[in-house]
Amino acid sequence: MSEHAVEVNNLTKVFRTGIGNQYVVAVDNLSFRVEAGEVYGLIGPNGSGKSTTMKVVLGLMAASKGEAKVFGLDSGDIRARNEIGFLPENPYFYKHLTGAETLKFYGKLCGIRGKKLKARVEELLEIVGLEDAAKRRLGGYSKGMLQRIGLAQSLVQNPRLVILDEPTAGVDPVGSREIRDLILRLKEEGYTVFLCSHLLEQVQEVCDRIGIIFEGRMRREGKLEELIKIEKQTAMTLENASPELLAKIEDLVASEEGASIVETGHPRTTLERLFIQIAERRSKEKASAEKKEEAS
Amino acid sequence: MSDEAITPRAPGKKVPIFSVTRVWTIAMSTVTQLVRMKTFYFLLAFALLLLVVGNVSFASSPAQALSTLKKVSFGAIDLFAWLFAIVATALLIPRDIEDRTLYTILSKPVRRGEYLLGKLAGVLVVIGVSLAVMFVICSIMIIWKQVGYMADEQAGGGRKEDIAASLALIAKNGFRIELAAAAYASFLKAAVVAAVTILLSTFASSSLFTIIISILVFLVGHAHSMATDYWLRETDNSMAVQMLLKVFKIVIPNFQLFSFSEGIVAGAALAPGVLWQMTWLTAGYLVVFLFISLIAFVDKEF
Repeated sequence: MSEHAVEVNNLTKVFRTGIGNQYVVAVDNLSFRVEAGEVYGLIGPNGSGKSTTMKVVLGLMAASKGEAKVFGLDSGDIRARNEIGFLPENPYFYKHLTGAETLKFYGKLCGIRGKKLKARVEELLEIVGLEDAAKRRLGGYSKGMLQRIGLAQSLVQNPRLVILDEPTAGVDPVGSREIRDLILRLKEEGYTVFLCSHLLEQVQEVCDRIGIIFEGRMRREGKLEELIKIEKQTAMTLENASPELLAKIEDLVASEEGASIVETGHPRTTLERLFIQIAERRSKEKASAEKKEEAS
Repeated sequence: MSDEAITPRAPGKKVPIFSVTRVWTIAMSTVTQLVRMKTFYFLLAFALLLLVVGNVSFASSPAQALSTLKKVSFGAIDLFAWLFAIVATALLIPRDIEDRTLYTILSKPVRRGEYLLGKLAGVLVVIGVSLAVMFVICSIMIIWKQVGYMADEQAGGGRKEDIAASLALIAKNGFRIELAAAAYASFLKAAVVAAVTILLSTFASSSLFTIIISILVFLVGHAHSMATDYWLRETDNSMAVQMLLKVFKIVIPNFQLFSFSEGIVAGAALAPGVLWQMTWLTAGYLVVFLFISLIAFVDKEF
């Protein structure tokens, strides 16, 4: 049996609002588990209770009822936090610190010192592609750079679990794809990733399992393939198919009792993919033009 | 997505219950923050103030001029210390909460008490260094003026006895090593003020509120004996009033106790043991206020 990285049992979080007995139930009897080594996505609209759940798991908030455990430890236990790396939504770090100083600061908080810390900082800056901006103060970082330094700080103590709250919020598609690639890299390296997002496509691309939360309750949960597959339908994408071949296929399907073609047409790329293709093509053109200039 | 088995990562190392290095890391980060906020520019303003007071004096005698210089400079040191303690402390914690920097700090293996202690230590390091620099600037200025006045007096001529009396008066109003105790008293007072502000900022909703209430506590703390005497005189002196007074005496520190520094600046001798007593009293206040702050902060939800 695999170890649970996160275990949330019957979690309820109630907030008092104003004076008197008015209250709001942000999370309602929520239970789920994140297995070690998997990428789990908790998705839901704004105000559905995702961030509250995350804060309880991080020990920043206490549960009104129920419990949250991280690798078997109560989420309020300081030892649990040594196993967690956290990237908050729109992270703000100390603007007066440089990228390298920020990582050193968080590293020291985790008890890393000396050469080990220096090496870890350099390694993380390389992983998130911020070596050139290491000595720049965070006040001058772009949104995407802040997100990447945030991701680096979350990994500083080499935690077993990485919690990401809307990791690509406000980041452009290229930056967003880089963060997505980093999440996949984390999975390959054995990290457990627990992410919250309302960007469904992004979640679909990186998560092994997904929980759909709405009004504080878990509505659906399971493996991505199981959740999104349409059992009765089969998709087939053909290349260079002649009209004759298509007609033959249509006839074949029509001859089969109960079978029918639901949709035909040309598959489309997404706007995001198109944007990235254009951006990549443009940077390749720019690089080759620069090379030509250098050569001449 | 690949389905191949990935080896989960090994557990992390153990976390000590309390770590001085974590406190020191937060303290040093606070120092860097305050330094990069150009806090030390205040020292330039202070040096300018001393230059003005030292050179533009309406005093009738050198002794009086030195006395004025000392009073103004040590007054400025004291004002800087407590005002800085309030403003810096009130800005730091609410800003961390507002900017969500606190999320990333507290999601690391850092105890909330360590965070509070680190912030307080950082503010105190900056105040301590500032006071030391201000004291040195102030001492140089006083000694420079004192040497100048003495040379003028000796060059001016006159009866030996008169010159000796004038020199003695200048020396009495000039630099004395006891003045360091006055600067230390300002530091102790600032430490208590910072601890009060930390307590307020653990439950206050804004920096402005914290600053206003802290200043109020500071002012009331300066009228401590007057307030308690008035209360006892104007009420029935019942058990309830006595209890309330005890709570008042604990919650509002008696800042009048730190006023012994004014006597030192005016030329009075430093009573033996007073610095130890005040150090212990300050330590007591810090422990009490930090403990109450921790109780308020430990269950605070972000």
